[in-house]
Amino acid sequence: MSSLAPNEVGSRPGTALELRWRSSRHARRLLTLGLAGLFIATLARRPEFAGLAAPALLLLAAGRVQRRPPRITVRVRPSSRRGFEDEVMALDVSVEGHGDGRVEWTLHPGREIAPVGAATADGPQVRFTFTPERWGRRDLGTLDVTLRDPWRLAEGHASLSLPRIDVYPAPASQRTQIVLRRLPNRLGEHPVRVPGEGLEFSGVREYVPGDRQRSINWPASTRRGRLQVNTFAAERSQDVVLLADATSDVGEPGRSALDLALRGAGAAARAYLDARDRVGVITYQWGGASWLAPGMGRRQVYRIIDSMLSAETGGWTSGASFRRLPRAALPPGALVVVFSPLLDQKFVETLRDMRERGFAMLVVDVLNAEPPSQSYLRALSRQRATDRTARRIWRMEQEAIRFSLRELGIPVVHWNGIESLDLPLGPHTRRPLGVRR
Amino acid sequence: MNGIAVRAGAALIGAACVVWVAVPAVHKPWAGFALFLAITGVAAGALRLALIAVPVPEDSFLLPGALRAWLRFLETLRQVPWEEGAVTAVLWLEVLHPSRPWHTAVLGAALIAYLLATHLAESGSRPGVLRPHTRVLAAGAVLLALGAGAGMLPAAAPGAGSALLRLVAAGALIAAAGLVLPYATRGGDQG
Repeated sequence: MSSLAPNEVGSRPGTALELRWRSSRHARRLLTLGLAGLFIATLARRPEFAGLAAPALLLLAAGRVQRRPPRITVRVRPSSRRGFEDEVMALDVSVEGHGDGRVEWTLHPGREIAPVGAATADGPQVRFTFTPERWGRRDLGTLDVTLRDPWRLAEGHASLSLPRIDVYPAPASQRTQIVLRRLPNRLGEHPVRVPGEGLEFSGVREYVPGDRQRSINWPASTRRGRLQVNTFAAERSQDVVLLADATSDVGEPGRSALDLALRGAGAAARAYLDARDRVGVITYQWGGASWLAPGMGRRQVYRIIDSMLSAETGGWTSGASFRRLPRAALPPGALVVVFSPLLDQKFVETLRDMRERGFAMLVVDVLNAEPPSQSYLRALSRQRATDRTARRIWRMEQEAIRFSLRELGIPVVHWNGIESLDLPLGPHTRRPLGVRR
Repeated sequence: MNGIAVRAGAALIGAACVVWVAVPAVHKPWAGFALFLAITGVAAGALRLALIAVPVPEDSFLLPGALRAWLRFLETLRQVPWEEGAVTAVLWLEVLHPSRPWHTAVLGAALIAYLLATHLAESGSRPGVLRPHTRVLAAGAVLLALGAGAGMLPAAAPGAGSALLRLVAAGALIAAAGLVLPYATRGGDQG
């Protein structure tokens, strides 16, 4: 919290608030003294008590003379309507029509919104700082305004609901990309084996009429006695579809499977868009899937995260089968990167179905939790044994699911959410990913 | 003047008010109880001012018992109007004494000072914010002195009628002061 210079807050239209005026504690204390003095003076017939009551009553009467504004105009402007987890954001507030009264602000932050510094401030223009602790569409909370008259005998109260902000998951780190062995014939940045107009050196061949003079390799031409030209690899782009499994949210809040899936998908979207690939997203939920067609550009990152956070962007397809998805959502030949804890059997069946349809896929396993075990002291030995057996069976089932996917040619890598995504993806980013049919 | 000095000043003025009305001791029914109320009110008010900056967490779920008890104590300390109780008890003690007008006038000035110091301490304001009050407080001091003087005047005639007459005169004086108050405050604001 800090005070702002005048006119620093934007000139957007503000919110008019009706003030509820009431006596301050100071006024109530003066009233007690005045009334008690007059009461005693009347009952005991001692005029000195009326004189004792006089200063307090005069102060109260003087306070009543002061003009109190019935309403004020409050302007609220967050530094941004969008932010990432743990990003420090600011909220500028200003008031107009308060006259010569003293303004006090109290910020009551909403859920998962943590104030940075003080939550109370004085002055007509102030700035609160806060940080969103978890992704989602978050209410910033409420702001209480208290206006005190110059004599501090009355307080006007008003409350204002603060706007919502969209909080995006803090993206993980990913610099490398998985590249398909066969890429569509579209200009991009991934070098392929086909000669073309890229930057990566491919080889040397004999000059033919029409070749550019600048591509002549003079040392090779001198050695062979004939003109030789350099050839370069063509550079192509690919379609990447990120598939986020939102059916299961297991694990501790902040590091749950859904948290990791969203952070991982955000990091992958950035990495592939930086490589000028077209990136889309499919968010798999109970009862269907929402999708956003692959696209390019910086804004696509925000569209993708918006699509994952809510089903408002893009399309919606009911039913668990991805056969109903249009080609725009899942283009043929696209690389599908899946972020899932692999706990939903229908989802696993869907992955197998997609693999059989010929999609190149890679699964990032984001499961970081196990079924909760009973307390050691409370559980009987027989129950503990049953518990151990059940957990063991559960682990074997999970291993079986992953094994069956690998057998189908779908690589499964585990990511703990802490380290960079480049580490688990390393074995698959060094060479192009082939599609086994 | 920093906050600690203002808080200490409020507590000392409150204690001085209690001592002022308690000495000499009066032996009448309920005098001891009134003294107890006055001491409790001033002491609890001073404690409230001392703990005024202690923060209270927004969420009080799943807190340990000791912390919950501490928060309940703080809430009680901040909700009860201790100063009002202290003022009432002090006036009660004063009226138990036989009539002593100048003593009551000094007590009135001390009580006003106590309430203003308490206000400054709880709002964290500087004493300078009381500058607009100066003229009104001066008018109040004049009325206080007039009230004490009226109390010292011998009655024109013995009986309830003369006392009531003095009372009506004091009330009329307060009303007259109230009528000129808007002009006095306007001048004070300009200054």
